[in-house]
Parts: sequence; structure tokens; C-alpha cells
Amino acid sequence: MLAPDINTRCVQALALLRHALAFFIALGFFGGSIASADYPEIVLHLPMTTAGPNSLDPVRGSSAYDNKACNYIYESLLEYEYLHRPFKLKPCLLEAMPESFDNGKRFRFQLKKGIRFHDDPCFPDGKGREVVADDFFYSLKRMADNENQPKGWWLLKDTIVGFDEYRKEQNQADQFDYDQPVEGMVKISDHEFEILLNEPFYRFIYTLAMFQTAIVPREAVEFYGDRFSRHPVGTGPYLLKRWQTGSRMTYVRNPTYRLETYPADPGMNADGTEPYPGYQEDVDLGFYEDAGKPLPISDRIEVTMFVESQPMWLKFLNREIEYSTVPRSAYEQAFIKRNRRLRDTYADQGIRSAPVPLLDMIYNGFNMEDPDFGGYEDSKKYVRQAISLMYNYDEINEAFYAGQNLIYDGPIPAGMDGHPENHNAPKNYRGPNIQKARKLLEKAGYPNGKGLPPLQYYTSRQPESLAMAEMNKRNLAEIGIKMKIDSVDFATLSEMLREKRATFFGLAWGSDYPDAENNLQLFYGPYKSPMSNNFNYDRPEFNKLYEEVRVMPPSDERTKKYIQMRDMIIEDCPMIGSMARTRNYLIHEHLKNFKPVEVFSNWPKYLNIERP
Amino acid sequence: MLAFTLRKIVYNIPIYLAVVLIMMGLLRMRDPVAGKLGKNATEEDYIAKKAELGLDKPFLTQYGNLLWSIATLDFNRELWNEPGVTVGEKLSDAVPTSIALTLPALALTTVLSIVIAMISAFNRGRWLDRTLVFFAVLGMSISFLVYIIFGQYFGAFRLQQLVGHPVFSIHGYEPGLTNWPFYMLLPVLISVIVAMGYDTRFYRAVMVDETEADYITTARAKGASQTKIMFVHMLRNAMIPIITRIMITLPFLVTGSILLEQFFGIPGMGYTLLSAITNDDFPVVEAFTSIFAGLFILSLIATDILYALFDPRVRLQ
Repeated sequence: MLAPDINTRCVQALALLRHALAFFIALGFFGGSIASADYPEIVLHLPMTTAGPNSLDPVRGSSAYDNKACNYIYESLLEYEYLHRPFKLKPCLLEAMPESFDNGKRFRFQLKKGIRFHDDPCFPDGKGREVVADDFFYSLKRMADNENQPKGWWLLKDTIVGFDEYRKEQNQADQFDYDQPVEGMVKISDHEFEILLNEPFYRFIYTLAMFQTAIVPREAVEFYGDRFSRHPVGTGPYLLKRWQTGSRMTYVRNPTYRLETYPADPGMNADGTEPYPGYQEDVDLGFYEDAGKPLPISDRIEVTMFVESQPMWLKFLNREIEYSTVPRSAYEQAFIKRNRRLRDTYADQGIRSAPVPLLDMIYNGFNMEDPDFGGYEDSKKYVRQAISLMYNYDEINEAFYAGQNLIYDGPIPAGMDGHPENHNAPKNYRGPNIQKARKLLEKAGYPNGKGLPPLQYYTSRQPESLAMAEMNKRNLAEIGIKMKIDSVDFATLSEMLREKRATFFGLAWGSDYPDAENNLQLFYGPYKSPMSNNFNYDRPEFNKLYEEVRVMPPSDERTKKYIQMRDMIIEDCPMIGSMARTRNYLIHEHLKNFKPVEVFSNWPKYLNIERP
Repeated sequence: MLAFTLRKIVYNIPIYLAVVLIMMGLLRMRDPVAGKLGKNATEEDYIAKKAELGLDKPFLTQYGNLLWSIATLDFNRELWNEPGVTVGEKLSDAVPTSIALTLPALALTTVLSIVIAMISAFNRGRWLDRTLVFFAVLGMSISFLVYIIFGQYFGAFRLQQLVGHPVFSIHGYEPGLTNWPFYMLLPVLISVIVAMGYDTRFYRAVMVDETEADYITTARAKGASQTKIMFVHMLRNAMIPIITRIMITLPFLVTGSILLEQFFGIPGMGYTLLSAITNDDFPVVEAFTSIFAGLFILSLIATDILYALFDPRVRLQ
């Protein structure tokens, strides 16, 4: 369609007029600002350390920032208990946690009654209607529609009975038919439904707490069309009032939000123990003082995007934002490095610090199909183990992260079943251990690295990634291994991994949910590149164990299998690692109820302000 | 003049087409599709994504489509990284924001630099000239980033602590003339300080050449005042290099300033373009580069026309 019709020309003319108007407004010819006069009382100013989300359509989102921005507006069936640690799911749009039948292959859900979508012009009379079972089915089906550019289909792939077939069929049809039933989505009544699974995948429960499965109204999607990602309509505690792309977002309280209350204080257990680890600290910090208050507590939230850390830091020091993460360059300004204590100059101002260990895995990976450094033969394994023994994550941690990161063996971060005790696996190849590395290299047939081709390493273009690579290159040179460093942008690295062209690479993985299964799937044979197993690791014993654990609920038996899988990875060494970052939050005294967390993002509704 | 302008435009069409072709070729030197897929994407997803982005079409078809959209001023292509937003909307938001920063900066820099350059040239070799040249060289020697970091720290953060209320914004932007001084004046001042070093040195060199010209001696002999010599005789004769410099700078007004916009959170074109390049958002990069190339060519033609207006010796042929 090359020649635009008259209609298109009219639209273009109007667009041009609008652009011209916007131009003059931006230049200030009409003066004034957009600010309204009667903003509500409790206003939070929160930072977002990025240019912000790209879309507010849950199915199109994938990044932590999309997640944060969507969580003000949308809700999923489940959510995490705000203060409870370790992380625990609870019903959000449901009356109770889903009941499971047929050995975990059938789940029954009961939606809360009276949950309404935001008031919006997409509804008759502009009044949001009640959420029903069909809305959930519709929202899931949107993840199957390729037109929506869904980023999270993998969460539901091979999971729900008949859903993969439905996806294939509908995407091949002229028009995606949302009214076509899916065998595994069974409506019992407007508020009750069942989901039938192919296998009792435990991951499915976590998926229901992820923002990609949030409920959206069909009316809004059809009314706004391509603009839906800019006009979000959900059931959440806030409405989007303004979105200045790359700069700020303003959310205001949803006036029709149902009665939800701040979590009640569980009190100490009868035997004097804490109901959950860290409970007493939460009490001391006053996290239960707002117990029973209706949510959301604040009336308006101003989110400012910061691409650079200095302005965020200065705004925090000026009390213009309620909290900030500590930029690397300001770490020693805020903390005494020796004991990682907040300096008195900050503590005296009422600022408190909250270090948050992330469910993070920073690692270096091998392509197991590489002819020189991949493979499962002993000699190949010894080479990788020797390289691992020359990697000094402690040195990296000290040099680049002020020693605040957590180093651990294997692919399972702290806080998940299967994480090694004291972060050390019984048998590991953690460096530096030059003697052992030399022996292994000799055993592999490459004494002092002789005969071993140079190791090509791919890392990101960030200056610190390059510096870390240089550090590792220096260490490897001590045992005669030559490393060639190639810094590439993310798109190039993704392409190389997809095509299995990267021999050795540096990457990081942030867990989508607090279950080791999410990390272990990265080593599952059938998920080899172009899917997420960038190591192209394919060991039948590991694959068999993975197929077992993914249908098991948490149990000692499952944890044992996790440990077995973890140790298999450590021994075969398709990866060297790992390291989990710690994010340091500094919080002003006037911000109440803030317990920083990065596993879920719906916490702004709990925040309160108490200014002197 | 019309015939000259039309002829120049026609001559420049092949150059323009080549610029667009080279830009498209450079963007496609690597495949952006893999970076845009979600987790656990299959080969099938890859193929679907490539088709959705239009990258499965032959290169010449993509080139033709872009040229057609430019020719028909059709900027309704959706951004790859911001679904629901068209290129036209993005540019119409970002370009005026950048201009609100760059235009005052250019005007202020030009006026100040010319005045300082004239003073310096007239006092050539004396302490005033040496001092001004020293500061100009100093200004040029310090990194832009240093000015921004210090400017933001002292000009916004410390000043607020000193006076007890915000004078300039540390970060953020609101449109509107009344908001302009709070959000834009500090970045504009930083930009002026940085650019003044370069401009003053350039204009000084131009002015020094003029001070040695015969017509200045004649004007002096005729008893013209210093002010008249500087602002009437000398300035008019120095207009050719001044116009050249300003006209070449004009198209860059729409590109904004990447660093200033990034540090001060100003959602202008520099910020938008950088983000589009780093995130492989081809529609933005292609549309902007095409417009910019067109503006650049037009500004060169306009420069030729202005030469003729300011210098009677120049004829448009």
C-alpha cells in the first residue's frame, strides 16, 4: 500500500497540525504548565533508574522497568506477601489460593466478587465493569497472539492443555479469534474457572503472580487498538495520569479501587519465635503501624526516570525523591567500606540503609558445542575447570562492587532451595587456585596452556565489563591460557548466542520467580540456542532430572534433586560462577513502610509519607 | 535566485539518496532481531519477529519504502521499542524540546562570542586579549562532561542548599515558557560556556584578519569612532564566515545535546536518538537521519543565498 488515500492525508494533516501545536507549546508560546491545582495530599516521589518502560501493555513487557510501571495499574491473580520473607504467594484477585486437583494437573480458581476495572471511556458510560473469568482467559490468550508482540509466551508454552495448538492455529488464521475456546481453560461461572495443565508444572503458580498475566479488559484493548500500550486500563490501585516518555510518569489513586488493607501484624509465635525471619526488625521499623489501613495509602506517585546516577543521587540528598539506590561512585561517600556501615552524616539525617541481595546470577559461560572448549570428555572438562579455578570473583567483587556482592557456587542464588550452604558447594572449582588449575590443565594434555587455542571471550561494551575481562585475562595468562576479548553490544551478543558462535561469554540472569527451576532451565537440553540454554548444555541425566523437578511442588525430595543438578553443573563446568549483586537503598526517614525488594513490584501501594 | 535554489536542490538529490542508502546499510550491518526477542524464543519466533519488523523484505524494497514515506511526509510508522507511538509523534515531542535548549544556547553563544572576539581582536596582543584567549583555550580544554557534572552539582544542588529554595532544576523538564528558566537556563548556560571557547577563538581569528584590512585604516583615517568601526564596518565584512558557521550549526539545533539531555532528564532529540541507536529502533534513526540530511543540504543552499545578500561581490549563478 504505497499511495496514501484521502483519509490518510487528512490524518496526516491533523497530525501535522498537532505537531505544530505541540512545537509551540513546547517552546512555551502558550505558557503555563500542565500541573493541576488540586493534587491530593499524600504524594510520593520515586525514582526509576532507566529511561522508563517501553510499553504499558503487560503482554509486551519483559523488563524489570515494564514490570514496575505496570504494577501500579494492573493486577494478577496472585501476588507476593509484602513483608514476608522468604517470598510467599497470596491471592490478589482471587478469594483464596487456587485449589489443585488431579495431582497438580487441574487448578480451580475463585475470583473475588466486585473487582472493577478502572473507569475509562472504553466502557459504556465510562464506568469500569466487573472482572469475570472470561477476562482472565482473554488476557492469557493475548499472550498467544503474535500480533501483540508478546515477550512472555515462554511462561505458558507447553503448559495449558490445548493452548499451544490454539496459538498455532489462530496465528495461522486470517484473524486471531479470541472467542475460540481452549480446552484447558474451563469456565464454571463468571467468578469460577479451572485451568487444566499438560503436566503438573509448579512454575505455573509463579506465572500467575507475574505482570505479564495481569488481567486487562477486552473493551480497552479494542477501543485503544495500537495505543493500548499508552492507555492502560486495569484493576490496580493507581491510574496513569501522565506519561512523559523517558522523563516522568504520574499515577493517581484509583477512586474505585476495592477495599484492600495493609497487612496485619501477625505477632510473635506462641513459642516466642518470629513468624518469619526479620519480623522483629520490621516491627522496629514501624512496618506494621499502618496495619489495616485501606490501600493504596498514597494519593499520587510521581516517578522520575534517571538514566544517569548523579542527578538521582543529588535529588535524593536534596530530599526531592524519597529513596535512592547508591551509585557505585557514591558508595564510599555513603558507607564506611571497611564495615559497610552507613556514615554518621547520613544516619544523623534520619536516612536508613537497606541492602537488598538480588536473585541474581552473574556468570561466564562456555558454548558446550565449541570444538575446543565445549564437550563432555574429561579433557575438555578439565580445561574448563582449570579456567574456572583462575577466575577470582572475590577480587572482582572488591575491585568493582566494593565487596558487597555475594559469591556462590553454581547457578542457584541465595534464598532458593538448592543454594549451597554458606554459599560453598562441597566440591567446587572456585578460584583462585593456580596449583590445581595447572594440574588440571596438564591432565587435559595442555601443560602450561601449550597447544590450547586462544579463548575468545565476548562481553558487553560497558567499561567495567571490559576491565573485569582484562583482570581475568591476566589471571589466565598465569597458567598459559591466552584470552582474546571482544566487546560487543547486547544485540550482537544475543545474535552470536542464538547462532552458537560465542565460545565464552559474560552474562547475567535475573530470576523471574524465586524458584531454582527458573535458573536450572537454562541448562535443559531441549532449550538449547536459539532458546535460553546459551551454554548448549545437553546432558541426558540433567535433562531427566529437570523434567522431574519442574512438575514437583517444593519438598525435600525436590531440593535434593536441585542439589544434584547444581553439582552436575559445577562438575561439568559449562559456566563459571556465580555472583549476585546487592543493591543498596538509602531511604529518607519520612518514607514509611518501605521494605525494598526486587522480586516483585507492587509495593508502592503500601508506602506512606510522614513529614514532620 | 529561484532557479539557483531549484538547481542546487536537484544537484543534491543524488547526495541525499546516497546518504539515506548508506545510513540504512550501516544500520543493517548487524541483525537487531535477536535482541528484541523474549526469553526462550524459538527459531519460529525469530522468523516471525523479523517479518513483523519488515526486515525480511529485500534491502531495496526497504529503501524504497523509506524514500516513499519521506516523499509523502508519512511519519506514521510505529516505533519498534515503544508500541503505540509513531515516529511523527516521537519527533514532534522531542525536537521542540531540544530546540528550546539549543536555540537560546546558540543565540547567546553567538552574540557573546562575537562581542568578546571583537574586543579581543581590537586589543590584539594586550593583556585583555591574552586573558580572553586564555579563558577561551581553558574553556575548550575541559571536557563537556566536567562542566555538566560540576554545573549540576554547584549550579543546582549546592545553590539550592545555599539559598534555601530551588533556583535551577537538578533534573527534569516541563514544557512552557514560565517553566523554561527553572528547567532549561542552567543547561543553556553550561552549553554556552562550553561553546564560547571554540566560537570566541574562531571569531577572533576572523576579526583579527579584518582589523588588518585597508578599509579599517581608511575608516580610522576618516575619524570613524571605535564602535562604528567595530559594529558597522568590521562586523559587516566579517559576516561571511559568521554566517557559514551559524548556518552549518542550524541543522544541529534539532539534534539536541545528548549529554545535557541525559544528565538533566530533558526528553529531547539527543536523548531520543541515543536511546533509539542503542536499542536498535530503526524507524526513529531512519526518519531522523533522513530529515537531518535534508535540513543539512537545505542549510548549505541557504548559506550560499545569504552570502549573496550580505556580500555584493557574490553572485548566484
